[in-house]
Amino acid sequence: MRTLRLLTVGTLLHAKQISRSPFEVAIALVVPVVQATLAVYLFRSGGEQHRLLEAAVGAGVMGVWSSVLFGSGGAIQNQRWQGTLEMIMLAPRRPALVILPITIATGVTGTYALLATLVWGRVLYGIRLDFAHPVAFVVAAVVCVIGLGMFGLLLASTFVLMRNANALANTLEYPVWLISGMLVPITVLPAWTTPIAAILPTTWGARALREATSGGPVWPSILLCLGISLVCLVIGALTLTHVERRARAAATLALA
Amino acid sequence: MKTLRLMTVGGTIAYRALFNWTTPGMFVGTLLVGPLFQLLFFAYLGRQLQVADDRFYIVGNAVLTASLACVFGGTMAVANERRFGTLGHVLLSPRSRTAIFWGRVLPYAGNGLLIAVVTLSAGALLLGLRIPVPALPGLLVAMAAGSLACGFFGLTLGALGLRFRDVWVVSNVSVALLLLLTGVNVPASGLPGWMVTVGQWLPITHAAEAARQIAAGAGFAAAAPALGRELLVGALYAAAAVVLLKVFEVESRRKASLDTL
Repeated sequence: MRTLRLLTVGTLLHAKQISRSPFEVAIALVVPVVQATLAVYLFRSGGEQHRLLEAAVGAGVMGVWSSVLFGSGGAIQNQRWQGTLEMIMLAPRRPALVILPITIATGVTGTYALLATLVWGRVLYGIRLDFAHPVAFVVAAVVCVIGLGMFGLLLASTFVLMRNANALANTLEYPVWLISGMLVPITVLPAWTTPIAAILPTTWGARALREATSGGPVWPSILLCLGISLVCLVIGALTLTHVERRARAAATLALA
Repeated sequence: MKTLRLMTVGGTIAYRALFNWTTPGMFVGTLLVGPLFQLLFFAYLGRQLQVADDRFYIVGNAVLTASLACVFGGTMAVANERRFGTLGHVLLSPRSRTAIFWGRVLPYAGNGLLIAVVTLSAGALLLGLRIPVPALPGLLVAMAAGSLACGFFGLTLGALGLRFRDVWVVSNVSVALLLLLTGVNVPASGLPGWMVTVGQWLPITHAAEAARQIAAGAGFAAAAPALGRELLVGALYAAAAVVLLKVFEVESRRKASLDTL
C-alpha cells in the first residue's frame, strides 16, 4: 500500500511539474494535432473516410510515444540538471520506485496528445467518437499509459549510460511509430519487422486502442501490452540499480 | 571579398560552436537515420492508402528532410548566441549584421543538402526507386534551393528568439507544419485551398515540386519556374530575417533585455 501511495503521489507530482512547462504542453498539444490533421487529409485522399477516428487515435498514440520517449529518455538527465537527482536517490526506497513515477508521468502527460487529437477531430472534422468498445478503449488507454511508463523506465535506465542519449531518442521516434503500426498497418511492412514489433509494448498498446476503436479482440492485446511492459519494468529496475550503485561508487551521480 | 570571407569563415566557426549535434553519433542518429525513417514512414503510409506513388513520397520527403537541420540550425544561429551569452559580442562587431547572419545560414544549408542527398539515396535504394542519371544534377540544385530557403526560414524564426523567450516551441511546431503544408505528404488536391496558399509561401513546397518533375524525367527547364519560386521564397525570408533582427535588436537595447532568458 505504501508503494502504491508512493507511485501515485510521485506520478501526480511529476505530471503537475511537466504540465507547468509551456514548452512541454505546447508540444504535447500542437504537434499531435498537426499530425492528426495530416493523417485525416491522407486518409481522406486515400478514400478511407470511414477510418478517420482510427487516424485520430493513431496520431494521439504517436504523441504519447513521443512524450514517453523524450520525457523518460531524459528523465534522469533532467533531474541532474535541476540538481534534484542526489536528493531523490537519497530517498530510502529502491531507485526504480522513485524514477518510475517520472516515466509514468510522461505517459500521463502524453494523454494530452490523445485527448487533443480526439477533440480536434470531433470539433473541426466532425469525426464521430463511435468507439466499438468504449469501456475497453478507456482501459486500453490507461494500460497503454502505464505500460509505456514502465517501458520508459527501461529507456531512462539505458539512456543514462549514453552521453548521446538525445540522438538515440531523436532516432527512435519514427521507427517505433512505423514498426508499432500506429498509423501504418504492420502487414504492409517488410516481414523482418514483425518479430521486432511483437516485442514492443507500443505495438500491443496501439493495437488495443485501434481494436477498441474499430472492433476486434481488445483484451488479449491489453494483456500482452501489460505483460511486455512488466518485463521492461524488471529489466529497467535491475539496470537502474546497477547504474546507481556504479555512479555512487565512482562519485559521478551528479556529473553529466 | 572581405564580406565573403566574413560570411564563410564566420559561418563555419559559428556552426561549430552553436550547432548542438556536432558529435558523429548524434549527427548520424538525429540527422541521417531519423529523417530516413520519416521518409519510410510516409512512403509506407502512402503505399497503404494508395494516395500517390513511391516517387512522390521518396523525392518529396528527401527534400523535406533538409528542414530539420536548416530550421533548427537557423534558430540556433541566433538563439544559442543568446543562451551562451555571446550575442552582445556579436552585435558589438563593426561588420554588417546582414553578412554575419546570412553567413550563419550557409553551413546549415550545406548540412541540409547533405541530409537530403543521403536520405534520397538510401530511400531510393531501400524502396527500389530508379532515378535517371541525367536527373541527378537537377535534383541536387532543387535540394540546394530548398535547403537554402529553409535556412533563411530558420533564421527568421531565430530572430523571433530575440523577442520571445521560448523560440523552440515555434521551431518544433514549424517543422511539424512543414510536413502538412508543403504538399510533401498530401497532394495539393487533397488539401483545403487555404493550406495550399499558405504552403506556397513556405520553403520546400516549390523545391519538392521541382524535384518531383526532374525525377520524373521532365528536365531542368520544366522545373525552372518552381525553382525560381523557391528561391524567391528564400529571398523573402532572408530579407524578413534581417528586418526582424534589426527591429528586435533595437528593442532589446532599449529595454536592456538582450541577454534575458
